[in-house]
Amino acid sequence: MQKNEAASSRERGIRIRVNGQWRDFALGDDLSASTTLAYLLRERLGFTGLKVSCDEGACGACTVLEDGAAVLSCMVLAVEADGHDIQTIEGLPADDPVVEAFAEQSEPGFGTALQCGYCTPGFVMTARALLNANPSPTLAEVKEALGGNICRCGCYAGIARAVLNASAKIAARKAGAAAPGGRA
Amino acid sequence: MKPTKESELNLSGATRYLDDLPATEGMLYGVPLTSPCARGLLRGIDASAALALDASVSVLTASDIPGENQLGEAVSDESLLVDGEWSYLGQCLALALAATPSLARKAAALVRIVYDELEAVTDARAAAESGSFILPSRTMRSGDPASAFSRCAIVVEGRVESGGQEHVYLEAQGAIAESLEGGRVRVVSGTQAPSGVQRAIARTLGLGMHDVEVEARRLGGAFGGKEDQAAQWAALAALGAARTGKTVKVYLNRREDMNWTGKRHPYSSDYKLGLDAEGRILAYEADYYQNSGACCDLSPAILSRTLFHAASAYRIPNLRVTGRMCRTNLPPFTAFRGFGAPQGVFVIECALDAAAREGGWDPVELRLKNLLAEGDSFHFGQPVADCRARRTVDRTLELSRWTELRAEIDSFNSAHRLVKRGAAILPICFGVSFTKLVMNQGGALVHVYGDGSVSVSTGAVEMGQQVARKIQVIAARSLGIPEGLVRVESTRTASVANTYSTAASTGSDINGMAALAACEEIRGRLLGLAARMLGADKGELRIESGFVTKGCEITELAWKELVDKAHLDRIDLSAHGFYATPGLFYDMKAERGSPFAYHVYGCSAVTATLDALRGTYRFDEAFIVHDVGESIDYDVDLGQVEGAFAQGLGWAALEDLRYDERGRLLSDTLSTYKLPDLRFMPSAVKIEFLEGAPNPKAVMRSKAIGEPPLLYGIAGYFAILDALRAVDRTHPTKAPSSAPYAYDLPMTPEKALDFIQGVRR
Ligand code: FES
Ligand code: FES
Repeated sequence: MQKNEAASSRERGIRIRVNGQWRDFALGDDLSASTTLAYLLRERLGFTGLKVSCDEGACGACTVLEDGAAVLSCMVLAVEADGHDIQTIEGLPADDPVVEAFAEQSEPGFGTALQCGYCTPGFVMTARALLNANPSPTLAEVKEALGGNICRCGCYAGIARAVLNASAKIAARKAGAAAPGGRA
Repeated sequence: MKPTKESELNLSGATRYLDDLPATEGMLYGVPLTSPCARGLLRGIDASAALALDASVSVLTASDIPGENQLGEAVSDESLLVDGEWSYLGQCLALALAATPSLARKAAALVRIVYDELEAVTDARAAAESGSFILPSRTMRSGDPASAFSRCAIVVEGRVESGGQEHVYLEAQGAIAESLEGGRVRVVSGTQAPSGVQRAIARTLGLGMHDVEVEARRLGGAFGGKEDQAAQWAALAALGAARTGKTVKVYLNRREDMNWTGKRHPYSSDYKLGLDAEGRILAYEADYYQNSGACCDLSPAILSRTLFHAASAYRIPNLRVTGRMCRTNLPPFTAFRGFGAPQGVFVIECALDAAAREGGWDPVELRLKNLLAEGDSFHFGQPVADCRARRTVDRTLELSRWTELRAEIDSFNSAHRLVKRGAAILPICFGVSFTKLVMNQGGALVHVYGDGSVSVSTGAVEMGQQVARKIQVIAARSLGIPEGLVRVESTRTASVANTYSTAASTGSDINGMAALAACEEIRGRLLGLAARMLGADKGELRIESGFVTKGCEITELAWKELVDKAHLDRIDLSAHGFYATPGLFYDMKAERGSPFAYHVYGCSAVTATLDALRGTYRFDEAFIVHDVGESIDYDVDLGQVEGAFAQGLGWAALEDLRYDERGRLLSDTLSTYKLPDLRFMPSAVKIEFLEGAPNPKAVMRSKAIGEPPLLYGIAGYFAILDALRAVDRTHPTKAPSSAPYAYDLPMTPEKALDFIQGVRR
């Protein structure tokens, strides 16, 4: 009886699309019903860009995209992500406007968007989700959307600025693409 | 700015911090079993249930330690694993090892201990009453305060409380130790002090320091929390590796980290300040009761910085300040950005606040009148040199349009009953150098490789303060080559030995100078060769942008070619550099000397808006004028000011560290310990660097930047206080004359509400 249950649970599994690739996981020894998405991504798949810093949904360092929206991967069970599309920072192209804007951030008065860099992947993914939903947010909207992310190094001014610059990049690329002969 | 390599790696998720390093075959995870109450006597450990859990489980106790069971450096009061009595909740009693982190946690939970609970003390003053101190008290004096008080027109006295602060480096504490042949160990440690960790491991394992190699990779924040307190996790991992022959990883989760590690020291202080009728300070006395926690850790050094900064940026002719390190049963409090200075500065600022109210003086006028100037001396005898106090304050008043701002706030307050605004300014003066003389030294190792690329190793640990970036700039400028050719390595004890912690804001001052010395040595050799190749005089040659220049003309001789030729000519392309900060001395007995290489000045103005019904507030604006000397990298320095200010503001107004009376931490998660976020920060923060202010005392005429700006946050406390005082007597729930005199930091909304309602006075 016990044996049968074990066998059938091993047959049960989940499928998650991670950074464009479908992955199958069998429920069993290394994936239990209580495994978090963060654990699965970091420990099973090696996507260590996301960080687990508080493990209770209070810092934002583990943020990834689920179907384009931000989720705290420490608060999502792996089984809940079954059938969904997950994107981690490793899945963003180097010319993603948010990545570019964070990398370039440097303006008199604002400072860089990262110092130790530990919060950065979480901020980038939260910002990416915000801009997916609202490509031209106001500063107040940026603050609201990123209010759940902690940067202990305190580069908040640079981060907010980078998100606004990313929004401008998106608009410029759109305009470039729309113009005849324009380049994205 | 051109994005740096490091930031690009970060943004692709590729930077590997300690916990991101892939697990190696057969790796074991170590989880400590810690003490269940604040003080107790360990009678026995029964690991049988834990051992039965899984074949991979083992449990190590004090008797497994081959060397000395001791981590304390200044005072031997900190065992690695408790053997007998423990003195705080969360002290390590045993280490459970297993094949996965969750197995190891389960195993640790299954270890049974037999113990007696003993009486504990958590309050600093209570500890002082019972004579429980880490070391004898320390006093600094100047002039004759006792007789000066008798000449004062106004004397104010009172008590000041300031709370602790949790570091919340986003990357928790941890280490990975690998056992090598012959009993040697190699350790990756999340530390600010690799040599300190190396020493701790050698001591506890009974090895020579040459048998222990420690590497610190880029840290996800540290802020002082990984200066002394990284050692025990690394020593535990090393112990596990030594006993099992396997690689062992110890990595705390957030709750463990918050419960088990030290924080900024809470202080309770008494002050007495006397002024003449014009508002000139004549005398000041303060007694600081530092809650040091259960072990010595860095408490003496932190206390000394409190005493050195007792007068902050003010001239005080007659002074007596005494600090006591009160031993309590809380986890040992430790270094945190500012290192005791914020606590001392807060007390004198409270005293001035009380004096301004008592004497009816304008708080800004009062501060200006007493500001340090050239020709003054600090109370420990060091002359005030190259003083920039007045310049930074004047510029802050200008930048913030202080006079208009004050008038606007006052008229706003008379027009609004339930919303009040407030503002405050705060000058700073922060001494740079480790107050412990021996720590003011550092080394560097520079290699120029055959292809012209350069590797620089120093004792500095990169933890977000971008010291690696600064050292890269320093090396590139010194060698006259593009920055891209210079790589700054992770910090390794086998490359640079006998280093001290990257702390006290001195990371780039000391290590940058050491790197510069090594680069200059190599440049000298290369220019000698170039002189021979070009038939020129060495003195007229330089290297700029990768080419040898002669006078103002650029020669054909490129860096790479020069390096290539040097190698063929068998010229050494490596050099070691060393730096010891000159001119420092201090007589501990007399409490006199020149402990600081120089001081950093600056000033902040902060405004706040208070909801007088709810006690909630927001910060509106901050203006900061900071003395950075000549900035090596503007973006980096700006970020340091912003970040330190955010932490200072958090300490002053938000971060509420609470223990219950039995020594249990109540705020032990990020959902119960609030941190500054984007919405908490003032809507506008204007930061300006003082112009035309080179510093001849440090590398490339710069000034250290890490800690001083944290003090600016204290202005946030007084801005809220100012708003609270505007809450008028007609307020519906406000008790009459409940204007706060009690100084108790942080000024959380709960406290603000208590003040409004007269619960607190
Ligand atoms: S780790 Fe998930 S929110 Fe902090
Ligand atoms: S950059 Fe260090 S936490 Fe944000």
